[in-house]
Amino acid sequence: MEIHELCKSFGDLTALANVTFTLGAGERLALLGPNGAGKTTLIRCLSGRTRPDSGSIHVEGAPISLAGVRDMLGLVPQEIAVYRDLTTRENLSAFGRFYGLRRRELRDRIDWALQWTGLQDRAGELVGTFSGGMKRRVNLACGVMHSPSVLLLDEPTVGVDPQSRERIFSMLDELNSDGTSILLTTHHLDEAQARTDRIVIVDKGRVVAKGTFSQLVDETIGRSRMVTLRIDRPLAAPLPNLTSTTSRDSTMGICGEQSIQLRIDDVASQLPSLITTVHDFGYGIADVQVDSPSLHHVFLHLTGRELRD
Amino acid sequence: MIWTVIFTSVRRLFHNRLELILTFLVPIAFFSIFAVIFGGGQSSSIIPKIKVIAVDEATNADSAKIIESLRECPSLRFVRDRDDEAVSRSAASEMVRRGIATMAIVLHGENNRINADLLADASDQVAGQVVTALLSRAMAMSLHDRDPNNLPDSHHMIAPPSPIPTVPTVTVLDIMGENKTNPVVSMYAAGIAVMFLLFGATGGGGALLEERESQTLDRLLSTRLTMDQLLVGKWFYLSGVGIVQVTLMFVWGQIVFGVDLLSHMDGFLMMTVVTSSAAAGFGLCLATLCKSRGQLNGLSLIVVLAMSALGGSMVPRYVMSENLREAGLWTFNAWALDGYDKVFWRELPVSELWPQLTVLLLSGAIFLVIARILAVRWECD
Repeated sequence: MEIHELCKSFGDLTALANVTFTLGAGERLALLGPNGAGKTTLIRCLSGRTRPDSGSIHVEGAPISLAGVRDMLGLVPQEIAVYRDLTTRENLSAFGRFYGLRRRELRDRIDWALQWTGLQDRAGELVGTFSGGMKRRVNLACGVMHSPSVLLLDEPTVGVDPQSRERIFSMLDELNSDGTSILLTTHHLDEAQARTDRIVIVDKGRVVAKGTFSQLVDETIGRSRMVTLRIDRPLAAPLPNLTSTTSRDSTMGICGEQSIQLRIDDVASQLPSLITTVHDFGYGIADVQVDSPSLHHVFLHLTGRELRD
Repeated sequence: MIWTVIFTSVRRLFHNRLELILTFLVPIAFFSIFAVIFGGGQSSSIIPKIKVIAVDEATNADSAKIIESLRECPSLRFVRDRDDEAVSRSAASEMVRRGIATMAIVLHGENNRINADLLADASDQVAGQVVTALLSRAMAMSLHDRDPNNLPDSHHMIAPPSPIPTVPTVTVLDIMGENKTNPVVSMYAAGIAVMFLLFGATGGGGALLEERESQTLDRLLSTRLTMDQLLVGKWFYLSGVGIVQVTLMFVWGQIVFGVDLLSHMDGFLMMTVVTSSAAAGFGLCLATLCKSRGQLNGLSLIVVLAMSALGGSMVPRYVMSENLREAGLWTFNAWALDGYDKVFWRELPVSELWPQLTVLLLSGAIFLVIARILAVRWECD
């Protein structure tokens, strides 16, 4: 799927501004951004529910407006967009039919979906009676009844427990291993980091970064680790930073605080000397914490800490 | 604590404008509608006139005088009044049967004695009594003018007794309901059926708004389903439910209250299919007009109740003034009820249903087109 210079405005509000990226065949891509960044508008444009002002979307080389191209897409909205007063089987059957499946093909896909979601024994029960996680699984299954080559998911794990999230990602992994490309939006950055191949971060309608997690780390916060040393009493004065090679970071710690925080590039060689320095100045060390760079840090680095809504 | 509950409830009410309107303005609006229906608005002089037609079979001076006297009554309106050609009893009866006149006054005389037959449409239970009273008075006055001794008055109380007066007789002939087992129930069945048909259709149309609110509509429209197919599918469904709803009601009416459904099956089916399909179009139109299910619930309550009040589902239209009756023709209910009235009450042939069928079919089509136009905004941002 190729998205090229997509623009969309609602009145004075620019929702998307020259958004360009690609989703490769069989790739898992996370679309991240703060609230109001334009993620849902982008998903709606990709699924044909919102008409962009300019730009183009191609799936397997064909423009999305072409007849039949949208059949290659599956959409899983953020809300539980199924009929709660129908059973699981009835929902799967209805959406399968809406996607053009009939007779044996439909029956086979329903059986597959029930097995895929693990809801075979709940096939005849009303979806409205299900737990949040089970509803999410039905919601997901209804979007893939027609075996799309690209699956668009808008926050597929919002409001579900860790076990259900794990199950949903296992289901997505299974689809992906069968060749389905996956594009999902999420606010669970750990999921995006662990469960996707590439990440696109949008903010204020623009793509601010894209690439693999490693690429994003290299381009933003770098590979240094954040080390936090908790000491036994408040610091009387900043200590000399023997790990620093620049004069700017020649000291470490803030007077009066009971912890020291600094970045180091090589944990194996620099951490022991750091601990020794603290000991040499008469402080006892209560705890040591080493944080590797995470998507959380990258995200905040790129989008800032200001509230967006 | 209690104060906080009260305060919070009041604040919530004021934040919900629709609920506020429903709470305070709708009762006033409905009070006004019923005040206009029963009270004739601010002026009580605007009373509903009874449409009558006169048939003079006696053709003498007395009968002409009686008719002339009745013409001066403010509560009667003579139809075919300007026609030079005299109307026969059978023609007048047919006019009553078709609803052109509520009552036909037939004066006939033998041996210089005038009697009257009132060919009545018993569905208007007020008109029969009013016209009987007015006619009796007019005939008595005529008798008195011809022979002052023939009627008792204050002068005669002290005069010697005169021969027994030949008091004219007024016979009311119910030409509409005479052979029906339970004639009036069919009219009420139709009134209630149409009102609930509208409620059912608007409620069913609300499913569209639920689908939109839950993003199911987004998902549906991202499949091969088009908005045209979705609306037509829902229209068929709502029409079908409406047909079953009304049919069940009339079947119940036949079993329990003796409504003669089987003998009027052709007209009933025609009216029910067309009325249900028009109601379905109306429901979808109202649903696509609204932004949320809550808004639809409020709006449909107001619109359906107002239409039912004006259109005759709650109050028979014959008690309404001329202006209100004309206003009622802008409502869905009035046309539907007129159609059912022709089928069950007047027992007219189905060919006579064409005005009602045409209006309902057209309005249904127009509602559906409006719904489609309004739904464009949901198709694509």
